[in-house]
Amino acid sequence: MTWLDDTLDMLTSADGWCYQSGAEVASEPAALAALALAGHGRAAASNAACQWLVEHQNNDGSVGITASQDEPAWPTGLAVLAWTSAERPLSSAAVEPGRYAANVQRAVKWILTHEGHTLPQAECTGHDTTLRGWPWVEGTHSWIEPTATNLLALRATGHCDHPRAREAVVLLLNRLLSHGGCNYGNTSVLGQELVPHLEPTGLAMVALAGERDPSGRVEQSLEYLEANLVPRTTAASLAYAVLGLAAHGRTPLELDAWLATAAKQTLRRGASPPRRALLALAALGEACPLIALTRNPIEV
Amino acid sequence: MSIDLEPHASESQPSTADCPKDRSHDAVSSDRPTPCPANTPRKFDRRTLLIGAGVAAAGALALPYVRRVLEGEAPVFLAGNQSYDGPLEQTIRDGLLATGFDPVMVRSKRVLLKPNLVEPSLAAPHMTTHPAVVVATAEVFRRWDALVTVGEAPGHVRDTEMALVVSGLADALDSAGLTFADLNYQDVAWVKNRGRASKLAGFYFPQAIAEADLVVSMPKLKTHHWVGLTASMKNLYGTLPGIKYGWPKNVLHHAGIPQTVFDINASLPKTVAVVDGILCMEGDGPIMGSPKPLGLLAIGTNLTAVDATCARIMGLNPAQVTYLKLARRTLGPVTEASILQRGERWQDLATPFQILDEPHLQLLRDRSAGLTS
Repeated sequence: MTWLDDTLDMLTSADGWCYQSGAEVASEPAALAALALAGHGRAAASNAACQWLVEHQNNDGSVGITASQDEPAWPTGLAVLAWTSAERPLSSAAVEPGRYAANVQRAVKWILTHEGHTLPQAECTGHDTTLRGWPWVEGTHSWIEPTATNLLALRATGHCDHPRAREAVVLLLNRLLSHGGCNYGNTSVLGQELVPHLEPTGLAMVALAGERDPSGRVEQSLEYLEANLVPRTTAASLAYAVLGLAAHGRTPLELDAWLATAAKQTLRRGASPPRRALLALAALGEACPLIALTRNPIEV
Repeated sequence: MSIDLEPHASESQPSTADCPKDRSHDAVSSDRPTPCPANTPRKFDRRTLLIGAGVAAAGALALPYVRRVLEGEAPVFLAGNQSYDGPLEQTIRDGLLATGFDPVMVRSKRVLLKPNLVEPSLAAPHMTTHPAVVVATAEVFRRWDALVTVGEAPGHVRDTEMALVVSGLADALDSAGLTFADLNYQDVAWVKNRGRASKLAGFYFPQAIAEADLVVSMPKLKTHHWVGLTASMKNLYGTLPGIKYGWPKNVLHHAGIPQTVFDINASLPKTVAVVDGILCMEGDGPIMGSPKPLGLLAIGTNLTAVDATCARIMGLNPAQVTYLKLARRTLGPVTEASILQRGERWQDLATPFQILDEPHLQLLRDRSAGLTS
């Protein structure tokens, strides 16, 4: 059995929707499992994870972090992507069209009515603090990953031209560092530029695929990803970096070997279902739902 | 339960919040061990206060005396000329014993070591706690028959596995047979805010922290471009999970960095400190600063006293550091006279750390020592 088959088997049960073995089921792992399973044609299993997300959607349309914690609700965008992908799996056992439409609508409405805390521009901060984007936690500032995820959710549901989506693109470009790449979302503090990281850079690149970038920083960011992927790159960073490159039509030659190594290492360090789900998504390349959905959105 | 928030800057600048009006601690829960006596703020009696008041009326030296009485005392152990390939386990053991730590307290108990892995970089070993210090500390507690786990919730990177690998800690833990708890992604338990300097009603601690009988704060000694220094108390930001607080933990910044440093420390179970000051960071800490070799291990059972001592060594005035002002008297002593020196003297180890030329940081410089930036 390959690492991929083993991973997909693991993701089919609720044990695969937790951050760690023995912990409670959590929304991000469930959504990543749903996406990975849908992408690999395991529709019924994907649907089970989607159904869990449905059952834990809050009345206001948001999706909280775990079964017992309905706040914060940063996984809402991931849930939208999971529900949207469930309607387009590869196998014939697809859910009926529109099955999750109401859930998606409520979640998108929540996304569009929530935003990051903005600030007047301060000299000590390098990025534009007046752009809204999305935060990790209600009432706090916007950061790369929640903004990128919600942008992907809007693009996947036909809201690519919504003003919030357009502003999110501006925000993500603004948060790229001068030599490419990004971190959690700071560029410079007190005049000192910070350093990039693979995971947020990769996710930002997925979200910015197809967008115009006169600054050239997207290209520099892709070059940063290519230059910094090494055999020892860990699962989550590897997966998002690979997906970021794939969204722009680039694939590392050593991809299969790196994915297999990362899967083996992450399993050895304590099986983390979401990391393994990310590797399964990365194995899909451009066919990954995170990329495919935004190229062929479903109007909601 | 929703988190109480006060929107402020994306990363708050130091504020001048007043000390909390209510300085009493709630009783610890019945299923927790009694706090180590060295950690418990010393209660003053009425006779001592009256004596203090009388002395205060007598002259200028009275105020420090009254402060010592009110603050209580705590020992801090310092060892210089340390290296990562030296006899760290022996030094750390000696340090803990010298500061009154009783090994019997951790027999069969859960001890969690909390290093700083904020955002590791191969190019910046001075940013994170060195694995050798972590493993040495683990060995000390394992020989005392404790059940040892290493745990961290890196604040700037979601990929904890990457943080472990790049910092070198993954290999070190493997070799030592130690388990790691990813505090960013565990189930959480809510604990009431016992400090109440910020507006947060409580904290969601991850399971490994909530279940620990002892948390060992193992920071890298660094300057911090907002609060002045980051040592054993600020290090405990990393006990809070990113799934609840974000990356970075913006909820805490919005509520006030010094205030939440104080509150977290007030709300945690029993803590001790083992500070990696062998290769430190100066300048634009806690991320982009420069290496500062110091060769120091600082150890203590009272984190306020440990941080105050570290501040002095760095050429900073602890009385000006806002989170230490908040911690003074409720969590531990800050004045020099109330900190009992064990091992080497801080004066013999002191060396000014470069700090940024920002007004809020220059205020922290200890001018009395004749130290300059």
